Amino acid sequence: MLWKDKYELGDSLIDTQHKELFQRVETFMGTLRSADSWEDKVQHVNETLEFMKGYVVEHFRDEEVYQKSIDYPGYEAHKQIHLDMVNYVLQVSDEYERSGFDEKMMQQFGGKLLAWLINHVASEDQRIADYAIKRKEQAND
Amino acid sequence: MTDNHLYSPFVAATRNVFQLMLDLSDVSDRSVENFECDNELNISIGVIGDLTGEVIYRFPDATSLNMVKIMSNMEMDVVDDFVTSAISEIANIISGNALTILSEGDLTCDILPPALVVHDDNKEYAMRTNCCISTSEGDVCLEICLNPTIVN
Repeated sequence: MLWKDKYELGDSLIDTQHKELFQRVETFMGTLRSADSWEDKVQHVNETLEFMKGYVVEHFRDEEVYQKSIDYPGYEAHKQIHLDMVNYVLQVSDEYERSGFDEKMMQQFGGKLLAWLINHVASEDQRIADYAIKRKEQAND
Repeated sequence: MTDNHLYSPFVAATRNVFQLMLDLSDVSDRSVENFECDNELNISIGVIGDLTGEVIYRFPDATSLNMVKIMSNMEMDVVDDFVTSAISEIANIISGNALTILSEGDLTCDILPPALVVHDDNKEYAMRTNCCISTSEGDVCLEICLNPTIVN
């Protein structure tokens, strides 16, 4: 399983979405890396890619709402990181369709997506959790 | 600025990224003298801004495969497009974090997308340093090659 408990932020909606995202990426990789021929797996890869395009946008939006709700000071910078990733996913998806579903392009996308997601949730998103904890402690003082 | 001003941020960023992303706690730095490898990925991250040049990450194939296996939970036998892309993104993340540390010393730089290159020791740079990062999953060599940008 890709998900690790250390990735939890402490907000149930965001944590549930993160787990779903990791699960989807895991399924995506399982298909992408299977020994089946590209012809046999391309439809499944395309379906997962389509789902993720929508889910990533929905999750980023919900996470930004959460950041606003706690007055997270890194909101603008974090929003820009989300926007850059969404644009990257859309750009790759567009080029991939125009290429006639080129496998090399999708293997490259899968590798980057894996590393990006782990870093983003383990590092960038943990700053939100750290801030939320500090904020709660200050409110209790 | 001395080479050591470059060395420390990149070592710190590499250690931090390996800890956060790969759960590697035994990360140390040493001289590149004994860095030996037959097959490796050479990933260049271009640097622009107050400093220009590149940082080349030399990932031996065994290191690449071990690290992507940790991230993906899947066996990796060959350094293919998937592995290369995942490792390139790690190099990208380390470089971004190192430049963030450098920016605390008033140096503003940006990075360019990762590119595969052939290792070349002959290019001239005003600031050039290297280091080998050792982990339980294998070594990685960093070649930091930068020039201060001259403003006319």
